[in-house]
Amino acid sequence: MNWQTNTTWVLTLASLKMWYRDKQAIFWTFFLPLVLMVIFGVLNFGDFGSVQLGVVDQARTPASRSMISSLENAEAVSLFHQSASGDARVAILEEEELALEDGDRDLVVVIPPDFGQPGGPVTVEVLFDVSQNREVQIGQTVVRQILDEMTFALNEVPFRFGITTRPVFNRDLRFIDFLMPGLVAMSIMQMGLFSVAFTFVQLKNRGILRRLLATPVHPASFLFGQVVTRLSVSVLQTLVLIAVAVFLFDVEIVGNIASILLLALIGGGVFVSMGFAISGWAKNEEVAAPIANVVALPMMFLSMGFAISGWAKNEEVAAPIANVVGVFFPRSAMPDILESITDFLPLTYLIDALRNVSTDGEALWSQGWSLLGLGVWLLITFVVAVRLFKWE
Amino acid sequence: MAQVNPPHPNEHSPETHLAPIIEVVDLCKSYGSIQAVNGVSFSIATGEVFGILGPNGAGKTTTVEILEAMREPDSGIARISGIDIRENPRAVKSIIGIQLQATAFFDRLTLAEIIQVFASIYHKRVDPLALLRQVELEDRAKSMFNALSGGQKQRFSVATTLVNDPLVLFLDEPTTGLDPQARRHMWDLVKEFKSQGKTVLLTTHYMEEAEELCDRVAIMDQGEIVALDSPDKLIDELLSSGFHKERAEKAANLEDVFLELTGHDLRDA
Repeated sequence: MNWQTNTTWVLTLASLKMWYRDKQAIFWTFFLPLVLMVIFGVLNFGDFGSVQLGVVDQARTPASRSMISSLENAEAVSLFHQSASGDARVAILEEEELALEDGDRDLVVVIPPDFGQPGGPVTVEVLFDVSQNREVQIGQTVVRQILDEMTFALNEVPFRFGITTRPVFNRDLRFIDFLMPGLVAMSIMQMGLFSVAFTFVQLKNRGILRRLLATPVHPASFLFGQVVTRLSVSVLQTLVLIAVAVFLFDVEIVGNIASILLLALIGGGVFVSMGFAISGWAKNEEVAAPIANVVALPMMFLSMGFAISGWAKNEEVAAPIANVVGVFFPRSAMPDILESITDFLPLTYLIDALRNVSTDGEALWSQGWSLLGLGVWLLITFVVAVRLFKWE
Repeated sequence: MAQVNPPHPNEHSPETHLAPIIEVVDLCKSYGSIQAVNGVSFSIATGEVFGILGPNGAGKTTTVEILEAMREPDSGIARISGIDIRENPRAVKSIIGIQLQATAFFDRLTLAEIIQVFASIYHKRVDPLALLRQVELEDRAKSMFNALSGGQKQRFSVATTLVNDPLVLFLDEPTTGLDPQARRHMWDLVKEFKSQGKTVLLTTHYMEEAEELCDRVAIMDQGEIVALDSPDKLIDELLSSGFHKERAEKAANLEDVFLELTGHDLRDA
């Protein structure tokens, strides 16, 4: 193969060169997401996401006290107790149930009277708020871990408790851990939409595409090079953001990096197609910019907003985060229809899949729903892009 | 004068002694109710410099764009070097060079790199410096297109059309907006292409340019060719019809004065 006379190769190389030389584009590609990451990494909103856990100690034995102090020391958990019973650490069941109903607790652990006594098995009851899925999962994992540790330490018969859990959130999840996949998805979207839409409207307007049309070049060769460039950038963005998150802020990437990059490619494909569609439709940059914003901003607000509200427990917690990010609607203030729409947005699919794979360590193939969603979006945007694309 | 049958390469209009490289027969193209090109026929011999003249909206751009395989005609036949343009536009594009009016090239690529990109499109290996030397831009090889002056841009645009060593060059108003020095330089380039045996089809609004460069010109108006001959013959025809100018032509004009005072050297370094 002769590289110098291979059209597709030379065009791809030229496209990469042009991107690399566009220092302004590089700056915006990495600047905003990195600034956001640094803000959240430094400020650390970790406490906001901690699990509000109430405990009712009906045993009052050394074993139950040991369990309570373990719960107190668990980083992801804020332990709540009311002092009606005289012991500051222990609440009575009815009060905790009320607190649960009021939303002041995510879950309440009831330590039975026979806890820690020889014999068993005993049942530790965990009451939980069904609307706080994420916190409940973390809380249950913490409780289960502590019980497991105690079981082995005391060499006693295993405890049993009434509900099953999934061992997913067995780490301390800080806001930055939670936000990182969202930032990656957001930067891929911004890059795909804006960089493609602007570049191509320019190429079209200034007659550069027309000049290419005057040659026997196959359009696919040219477009291939451009798409390869954008997809390479989306992979690069993902790598840089993950590297900064990992090395600067100790974010732990549980998932397979290849799966994450594959998701970045698929997401990049969706948003690059969208960018092409916009550039095909828009006559000039003055038109392309607002259109790209009209597409990007609601998606950012909705997908990122719901993602954040899923993390933040209530509005008092979410508001300060929202003020910094600028992307938030309190879930309670949103009509249900918007939440349903949000579920079907490509950015939501990408954020969900990225988070599940990177921070939750789930396998790529288990993200069938998100992958299907992204696939459908890729198909739609690709068809629209091809239909709207014009050389001049 | 249009030939009804598609002309055979061997039997052709008397003034073209070589085989025609461009053959156009009864070309029509309309946009909605506007008949942009209405039954245009002509042929151009190999090595000829052929001009298409006409006021704006006369249909010359549409005619040229059809020949450049950038626009489909409604009807009619157009062939370059025997290849039917409608049947095989890509094959035609690979043997011609098109210099577009007011064109631009990629930002953030040097002139040499752009030449390489264009060469790769034709699967050709070229020496960018040698090509740039032909249009006196060798010293700007590492410059970006946007940093060039108007005349340099125009010359670079011509250079990009040379990468595939084309049989036919299409030049669309190649000297519009250029200063007299740059215009003369462009004329020299066209003459050089002619001397290399290339066929040149150019459009222009400058009659002295057509007179200076073209072996034959076609004058178009309202989608039709109203005259087709050598500039000399067209002028003689007009004079023989009794036409005379209000003011007698002097042996020099203001442009000659300008060039005498400012010299012929290119001023765009």
